[in-house]
Amino acid sequence: MSASNGNGNGNGNRNGSQTGAIRIGFYVCHCGHNIGAVVDCAAVAHYVGTLPGVVLSRDYKYMCSDPGQELIQSDIREHRLNRVVVASCSPLLHEHTFRTAVERGGLNPFYFQMVNIREHNSWVHNDRELATVKAKAQARAAVERVRYHDSLRTTRVPIQPDVLVVGGGISGIHAALTLGNAGKKVFLVEREPSIGGHMAQFDKTFPTLDCAACILTPKMSAVRAHENITLWTYSEVAKVEGYVGNYTVTIRRRPRYVIEDLCVGCLECVGKCIYKEAKFPDDFNVGLSRRKPIYIPFPQAVPQVVLIDPERCLQVKTGKCKKTCLEACADRKAIDFSQQEELVQIKVGTIILATGFKLFDAKRIPQYGYGLYPNVVTSLELERLVTSSGPTSGEIILRDGSKPRTAGFILCVGSRDTRTNRWCSRTCCMHSMKLAQLFKEHTQADVTIFYMDIRAPGKGCEEFYDKSLREGIRFVRGRVAEVTDWALAPEEEGKLVIRVEDTLAGFVRRIPVDMIVLAVGMEPQADSQAMRRLFNLSCSTEGWFLEKHPKLAPVSTFTDGIFIAGCCQGPKDIPDSIAQAGAAAAECLALIDRGYIEQEPNTAHIHEENCSGCKSCLPLCPYTAISFDETVGRARINEALCKGCGTCVASCPSGAIGQHLFEDEQIFKEIEGILA
Amino acid sequence: MKSIKRTIKYDADRVQGFGREIMGVTGCEQLPSCIQCGTCSGACPLSIYMDFSPRQVMALVRADFKREVLSSNTIWLCASCYGCTVECPRQIRITDIMYALKQRAIREGVYPKGMPIPVLAREFTRMVLSKGRITETLLVMRLFLKANWRAVLSSWRLGLGLIQTGRFVLKPERIERREELAAMLATVSVTRHAARAAKGRHHATPEQLIAEEVP
Repeated sequence: MSASNGNGNGNGNRNGSQTGAIRIGFYVCHCGHNIGAVVDCAAVAHYVGTLPGVVLSRDYKYMCSDPGQELIQSDIREHRLNRVVVASCSPLLHEHTFRTAVERGGLNPFYFQMVNIREHNSWVHNDRELATVKAKAQARAAVERVRYHDSLRTTRVPIQPDVLVVGGGISGIHAALTLGNAGKKVFLVEREPSIGGHMAQFDKTFPTLDCAACILTPKMSAVRAHENITLWTYSEVAKVEGYVGNYTVTIRRRPRYVIEDLCVGCLECVGKCIYKEAKFPDDFNVGLSRRKPIYIPFPQAVPQVVLIDPERCLQVKTGKCKKTCLEACADRKAIDFSQQEELVQIKVGTIILATGFKLFDAKRIPQYGYGLYPNVVTSLELERLVTSSGPTSGEIILRDGSKPRTAGFILCVGSRDTRTNRWCSRTCCMHSMKLAQLFKEHTQADVTIFYMDIRAPGKGCEEFYDKSLREGIRFVRGRVAEVTDWALAPEEEGKLVIRVEDTLAGFVRRIPVDMIVLAVGMEPQADSQAMRRLFNLSCSTEGWFLEKHPKLAPVSTFTDGIFIAGCCQGPKDIPDSIAQAGAAAAECLALIDRGYIEQEPNTAHIHEENCSGCKSCLPLCPYTAISFDETVGRARINEALCKGCGTCVASCPSGAIGQHLFEDEQIFKEIEGILA
Repeated sequence: MKSIKRTIKYDADRVQGFGREIMGVTGCEQLPSCIQCGTCSGACPLSIYMDFSPRQVMALVRADFKREVLSSNTIWLCASCYGCTVECPRQIRITDIMYALKQRAIREGVYPKGMPIPVLAREFTRMVLSKGRITETLLVMRLFLKANWRAVLSSWRLGLGLIQTGRFVLKPERIERREELAAMLATVSVTRHAARAAKGRHHATPEQLIAEEVP
């Protein structure tokens, strides 16, 4: 903990180092045209210069520039300023910059107040005259407030070096490995029984056409073998408490009815299961194959451990089974029907969310006939068909077992559509071209891609588009209106007919094909809203986790210490997911290796003379920072635990609790200032 | 020999501001979002007969090619099934845009004269305004006579069948107290004139415009 803590001599020292009159310096920033075009900055500076206590008032083009900061520092010294107000952009962007400048000028950094006349004014107003009036009122409020500012000091809290990574797809795996390799202890939590995510289901990856399994499985095994990574599959985050540097996370570990440490993945039990035939849909093969109640998700699963589906297993459901699996397992005794759900608590300093995406449900667009016509499949289903480890051992066949001679790929299924998902899913153009090339290679079929726009901006992607064209894949520009099996011409008999406007040719066409592949887009996970609440994040209106800044902080969130990577932030391909995962890991390392978190001194404090000892604040504090001192009959606040939420301040019936940076008189003066 | 026509368009072929005017009509505001995907054309049951597909009409309107749009048969072939509007991924109300274009074509008198659809619209309204309701048989007869009288000859067999089954009634249907309807319509047309004088004529429907012509 910091040296300034606990005894109150650090914080709350009003005018402690200042003697004499308040001398305020005011600066208004043009921010180029951002503010200057709407607010008359010179007029604001002139007006504020007339306010009592203001000894200096300037307007300047870019206050955040080095000369701008230099100006504040030299003015503090030359004009003996003891308060500084800057009217510019959002405190989120530059409060730290200006506080540092004030500090360098020799003042306590909290004798500073920032006014946001950009987001709160120039960006939302057009009328120059009225915007200027408003800017003056905003500045006046800050000038009134800053008089009552205190000399404060930030506190330092040590950071827990362990990291939690949620989601074991390619992003989560990469983040965990990066952190593990840097020597940090990582908990990798995955909901499914194996890590690998969507990438494990792919056959090849665009644009290089290298085998997805060959590049993914080494990373999966590395996770399993890594001394710094604790891998918990079939587990979910149940509860998150605490704050940056000190999170307490509760993990719910679902029972697999198999002891992970004892199972060696020999699959003897699967062979001996009382169900002689596999009859339950296999999730990994998107329902295209069947599995038994005891199963391993896929051959390269990590961990190489079987699990029992409690919904299907006779023993778990009814308790009346011969338990042939137990016999098969014999001395290893890895099967344990008495396993119960387990809650484990861990302490981590930072969290990376890499919870991924779900695919658009093609049934939501009924005119494409998914679920109605058996030979209309999704891109992921084709991916499983084309993989040698898939249900058909890599053979692309129609439902009747015959080989397709023609195929149509429909792009943007569910994407770029205001009625379903507005966004572009970014990967489907390339993904479909990859599948189309594989389709042609496997079947020599005539393949047509129906697209609205081909988006191939990634590295090597335009070249891949060219390769597709040269390999004879047909491209028809037009969004398919409907798929039907109603033949109007002899060549359409027994086929699926795509009705589409060939927009480049300028007429409507009917194109018969054997198989239709729907390039379904990406969507936020079904429980993304619950996750958002669990981790206290923001979501975009679509449900993607919101980054702190779309350009400058793309993996940070508004909750300090929680980072996002991969498709939970928005659709992206594998290279982008990995780049984000690496960035998120680096952000964690930056926090961990500094060793401490600097906390805003916005803690609450008790005016003992007013405290009646009613204890009503005690149960309200979410951080259990308030205790009761029996000897004097007063409440006490532990500044190290206080997060400055203000709940106790508002609730105290005696008005005995104050809060640094938000003292009553500061707020009242600010209100008076803006209304004056 | 097939004649060769100049197809190039110069900027002078555009009527600047036309697209913006159409987008200003209620229901047509989404037009700027069109991504030219062609779903409207694919969904349209009549696009197979159109000279410009609905998608092309959207592009032409946006690019201010007023003459090309207003003289196309597309806007008149539109049967208002709303299939395109339902399926458009940008929720553009294409049928409403077709109506706006039809109104504009009638107002400017540039629609194809032999086209039965504008004739039907006019005859329909005229009959409702004078009789209070329509008599389908008379309406069809008028349509044939004004649009394409030869078609009557080719449809004689259908007509005979309809007469025999009693479906072809020549007695005009009308409401009672038509003078009250006329008085009501007179007040409407007075207020409408006043409103239009204040607003300009941009939002008149064909029925309103025809109503002006009917004494």
